[in-house]
Amino acid sequence: MENLNGLVLKVDALSIAFGGLKAVDNLSFDIKENEVFGLIGPNGAGKTTAFNCITQFYKPNSGTLLFKGRDEQVHDLQKKKVHEIIKLGLVRTFQNVELIRELSVIDNVLIGAHVDFISTIIDQAFRLPRARREEKALRKEALRILGVLGIEDRALLPAGGQPYGVLKKVEFARALMSNPRLIILDEPAAGLNDSETIELAKLIRKLRDELGCSILLVEHDMRLVMDVCDRICAISFGKFLAVGTPKEIKENRDVQIAYLGIEVEANA
Amino acid sequence: MKKLIKNPHLHFIFLGLLLMIVPKLAEMGLFKVSYVTTLGGTFILAIAALGLNILLGFSGLVSLGTAGFMGLAAYLSAYFTVDLGLSFELSLILAVVIPTIVGILVGLVSLKIEGIYLAIATLAVSEILRKTFEEFDFFTGGFSGKTASYPTLLGTYELDRAGMYYFVVAVLIIVMLITYNMMNGRLGRALNAMRGSEAASQAMGVNLLNHRLIAFALATMYASIAGVLYVHFIKYSYPSIWTLKLSLDFLAMIVIGGLRSIYGTLLGAFIVFAVPDLFLKQIPFFSEMSYVLNGVLIILVIIFYPNGLINMFADIKRLFNKLSKGEGK
Amino acid sequence: MSTFIQVILRSLETGSIYALAALSIIIIFRTSNIVNFSQGAVGMFNTFVVTYLFNTMGINIWLAALGGIVSSILLGIVIDLVIIRHTKKVHPEAKQIITLGMMMIVLGIAPILFGVDPLRLPKMIETGNLSVLGADISYNGLFNIFFGLLVMGGLFFILQKTKIGLAVRSTASNEYTAKLMGVPTKTVTMGAWAVAGALGVISGIMTAPMTSVTLHILDDVQLNALIAVVLGGFQTFYGPVVGAYIIGVGRNLLLFYGSSVWGGQILYILILLFLVFRPHGLFGKKIVKKV
Repeated sequence: MENLNGLVLKVDALSIAFGGLKAVDNLSFDIKENEVFGLIGPNGAGKTTAFNCITQFYKPNSGTLLFKGRDEQVHDLQKKKVHEIIKLGLVRTFQNVELIRELSVIDNVLIGAHVDFISTIIDQAFRLPRARREEKALRKEALRILGVLGIEDRALLPAGGQPYGVLKKVEFARALMSNPRLIILDEPAAGLNDSETIELAKLIRKLRDELGCSILLVEHDMRLVMDVCDRICAISFGKFLAVGTPKEIKENRDVQIAYLGIEVEANA
Repeated sequence: MKKLIKNPHLHFIFLGLLLMIVPKLAEMGLFKVSYVTTLGGTFILAIAALGLNILLGFSGLVSLGTAGFMGLAAYLSAYFTVDLGLSFELSLILAVVIPTIVGILVGLVSLKIEGIYLAIATLAVSEILRKTFEEFDFFTGGFSGKTASYPTLLGTYELDRAGMYYFVVAVLIIVMLITYNMMNGRLGRALNAMRGSEAASQAMGVNLLNHRLIAFALATMYASIAGVLYVHFIKYSYPSIWTLKLSLDFLAMIVIGGLRSIYGTLLGAFIVFAVPDLFLKQIPFFSEMSYVLNGVLIILVIIFYPNGLINMFADIKRLFNKLSKGEGK
Repeated sequence: MSTFIQVILRSLETGSIYALAALSIIIIFRTSNIVNFSQGAVGMFNTFVVTYLFNTMGINIWLAALGGIVSSILLGIVIDLVIIRHTKKVHPEAKQIITLGMMMIVLGIAPILFGVDPLRLPKMIETGNLSVLGADISYNGLFNIFFGLLVMGGLFFILQKTKIGLAVRSTASNEYTAKLMGVPTKTVTMGAWAVAGALGVISGIMTAPMTSVTLHILDDVQLNALIAVVLGGFQTFYGPVVGAYIIGVGRNLLLFYGSSVWGGQILYILILLFLVFRPHGLFGKKIVKKV
């Protein structure tokens, strides 16, 4: 298999159609290690569809998706099932925060470690030493991650009653729990106010610098994208428009046309 | 010390010890002896209901085959011990493993699709099993039923009614402990995640089909354990016991008692099974109405009190705290 | 050959009974998003009403049947008003359990009102046989086949060609949008429960002469109807009806040419196996969920 020199993800000629409508059409881009990569486009441009293809929620019609996993091996994502993706080191968050209200914050975070458990159901049913040790170690790790995000004091509270900003962080923590190489953030700024968005930007940089993982940011909020991304890929109607640094994207004529209203505002 | 008092495992063991006093009280004449049978029967049903609670409460799937699988295990164990002369232990294992395998096959077929298919598939399976119980004379004794005896443990300890009652309580407590451990660990979290959002749980690496299968296999296994205990405690089995009506009773137990609650399941079993037998029997009209009452309770609880009656204790306590605080001011 | 035709004619009769029950279940599913497990029990209850009107009150069988249909419509409306309307916020799985609770209530009340002895309900048309290619079918059997087709044909006509049907179909495809567009979704749902009830009692009246009127008269019909819905798929109104006729024919053929004891059971196993290959039924499609 191809050696992804310095890349974590290589998307090549990705296409998917729903009943004749091409939602993603021949899209290619790649993400380097330790990079914050933005995927932008107007509403209905196919951003969400594109990353649903990457995470295998949808099976693409054609194209290749290569990913360098936690094990340093290159994997063909299309050969994997949805639930096998996280084990490779590719994890996503959800636009409308998908947590379990009844469970405590820390239990929600522990779900991120689901695939990392070695002890069997029998070990856990009878609380054999192996299961106890493992649960304890992973709990400690979850607390540490919550600490990095500054919400360890809420670990034992039910997720249900927490404010939105905290829930977003819990979802981050859950993603980090899987020790990922690449995190896909689905419109993380949606529903956040200005100061929370600024904090989010800081957090994203912190993740890249301290944990050494790459981030694919799928976002509407132009200020956040322009602020934190190293490179950006712009798409429109499922087609590739341009890729480059935030500055290059801002100045790209095709992108300006596709975006018009939004782009004029961002330039101003 | 405080840590010990709060240890949930000790709570279960303490409950077990408490329940074991019952036959002693009956011996002392404080209880009717028949209460021992009623309570033992309640605990046996609670074991099957616990399995259904894992399935429905945690993974949101409905099975209408609980009674069918329980009956299958009961007949198997009676057949193995009486007709084939196998030891109780061996027959217990076989009578649990065989229905569980059948359950896994049914699950493999129906769980690939929407959850509701399981309810319909298990309804069909319970119909097939009912027919089997009626028609396979050599194995089930047909309509005249099949008898079994109190078991002999390890080939030496012959149990009587009280002995079997202790055994049932011990199994109940072990099953509760195991359930508690599993539902508060990796498996419980995964099932919870699945019920909350299939997409999110898949993204977190939860294999939906596997976990639904595990939940259904556990439900079948618990029902089978209950079936074996039943046939060696009540000592007979008829086709008319293992009907849809009983499967609905199990649903009533967990919905009324409390979804996802271990103690709630026990409370539900008590309300649905023991209360009519112990109290309502004396009142002529109510004994006929108990099935109706359960139906009404199911609907009321789902609409108005979805966490089940077990939550009443916590709610009353909260209300009490609130009132006493109010007085303190 | 004549026995084969005989079997097919019988199958069409049981097929219509299953089809009416299956249509009843799918109507509720499409409008209320509930798999109604109480369908058979409620149908049984109303069949008892017919039997009571006929046996105890001595009313003419046709009028008694009409009375049963009226009571089924009223009961359907009551179920919607008292229970279903209050379950808007209830989890979909919990809704199925509510119908199981309804089933328990009906199963508990029926013996108190109507006793526990099996009762008899005669055919709508007492005597008369028609010979078709050497096979016999009673006038009542023919009546059941054609009446079933007529009822279903009428309902499909209403669903496809009238304004009421449009309201039902738009509620079925998206209740929220339908409501915004001014469709009286509450009335549609109530009507669905009323019609579903009527279909249930008709299937009960058709079943009664073949057996006796007991608490379990419609158990078999209900199970076959549910399996017909699974076989035909949950996404269309016609799928379950087609599934019901397939089950009616398949079951009778298996009972007659296969095993008279295990025919029905074998069919269930065959259908479960079929679902392995076509999990969404004959006419169902996999829906791509948005994440």
